[in-house]
Amino acid sequence: MIIFKNVNKWFGSLHVLKDINLHIHPGEVVVVCGPSGSGKSTLIRCINQLEPIQKGEIYVDGIQVNKRSTNLTKIRSEIGFVFQQFNLYPHLTVLENVVLSPIKVKKVPRKEAEENALRLLERVGIPDKANDYPSQLSGGQCQRVAIARGLAMNPKVMLFDEPTSALDPEMIKEVLDVMVELAQEGMTMIVVTHEMGFARQVADRVFFMDEGQIVESNTPDEFFDHPEHERTKEFLSKIITHN
Amino acid sequence: MIAVYFKGLMHTFPLFLKGLWVTILVSGVSLLAGTLLGVICGILRTVKKWGISKIMGFYADYMRGVPFLVHIFIIYFILPEVGIQLDPFPAATIALTIYAGAYISEIVAAGILSVPKGQWEAATAYGLNPFQRLRYVIFPQAIRVILPPLVGEYVLLVKDSSIVSVIGLTDVTRVGWLTVQRIPEGLMVFGLVGILYFVVCYPMIHLSHYLEEKVSYESH
Ligand SMILES: Nc1ncnc2c1ncn2[C@@H]1O[C@H](COP(=O)(O)OP(=O)(O)O)[C@@H](O)[C@H]1O
Ligand SMILES: [Mg+2]
Repeated sequence: MIIFKNVNKWFGSLHVLKDINLHIHPGEVVVVCGPSGSGKSTLIRCINQLEPIQKGEIYVDGIQVNKRSTNLTKIRSEIGFVFQQFNLYPHLTVLENVVLSPIKVKKVPRKEAEENALRLLERVGIPDKANDYPSQLSGGQCQRVAIARGLAMNPKVMLFDEPTSALDPEMIKEVLDVMVELAQEGMTMIVVTHEMGFARQVADRVFFMDEGQIVESNTPDEFFDHPEHERTKEFLSKIITHN
Repeated sequence: MIAVYFKGLMHTFPLFLKGLWVTILVSGVSLLAGTLLGVICGILRTVKKWGISKIMGFYADYMRGVPFLVHIFIIYFILPEVGIQLDPFPAATIALTIYAGAYISEIVAAGILSVPKGQWEAATAYGLNPFQRLRYVIFPQAIRVILPPLVGEYVLLVKDSSIVSVIGLTDVTRVGWLTVQRIPEGLMVFGLVGILYFVVCYPMIHLSHYLEEKVSYESH
């Protein structure tokens, strides 16, 4: 589904992704964790080419995304992306947020797009907020709208960049619940998060990133209970004392 | 004496209205064309590629750094030297357009840059093409920042258009000049000219204030 081959990225002289190789299968849920600045966000932002890479190849569903001839718009419309800061469109209602890309990019008829959006809002638990503006919603509600906005594209994969880090603690669960359900329904997901409960519950694999490399990759139980690398152990001890 | 002058002035009043119409026409056309030019250049100003932004920046700086009077001289008196001869009206309109366009491009660029980066990223990640990103996501948010100073710029445009009288366009200012030669009561004549400008600009100033308040009220 998603393949990285020797992917390298620099910001100026800063080498942020170092020879990344990975292969994510359809229906797989992968959690990415690691210290701040290790390149987690950059890793997933390369998948939909929010960040260009300088070396290597990235494939999504068999199509190489880092090639000039690739229709990026089409690839992007098949990838849902959920940002840490939600990035909802503040000038549009919740419903308009969700239907914008289906209508403008996928050319879905408005009526059909709105019906689908209402179904998705119901699924993420906020059917009654369709006509509100994002500023009227709590953080947890915003992030659930953002997930609905992603799902509205009928994506092949959903990417999450620390979806709960900007939320008040009491709102984290409502967002994670939606994500767990999504994972159990078979969505392919890559989730940057330090929520270990989520990782244990639904992840097939956990990646540990440090200084631009995937240092360790394992099943959640192995990863948390028997970490192999020194740096993984050190990192885990920090987030465990934090949680 | 004053009464006679006043009567004479009233007699020429239709000429003043004609002049006012020329003022409105020349600034109205420049306003529309300048807005179009300014929006395009303002958008290009935010393109971080191929030095486009630098070129647009230079255009804006050049226009701001040279007096409008000099621009209009260049277009009306110097361009004919290289074979480009323009009538006063097109010369005035072109000069005002590229002048206002420069200021408007700055306003538009500032508005676009005021929209958080995350909005671009979301619009990009959700498959919108560059035009759609601007049209549906960035512009509707930028317009709140753009509108108040834009209307302010229109007021300046109407006032600056008075300078086009130097190349013989019979706008309301030039009607004033012509009249004062027959009716040597400067205060009265240019008082009337001033009032006529004010009548056009005052509602615009109010609109600008209104938009400013509306924007600050809505942004929570
Ligand atoms: N747009 C950018 N320009 C320059 N450096 C950046 C940019 N984005 C991220 N970086 C740097 O790249 C490194 C990796 O960042 P990031 O992928 O955001 O890490 P993480 O998500 O793991 O915290 C950090 O050192 C960060 O400062
Ligand atoms: Mg990050």
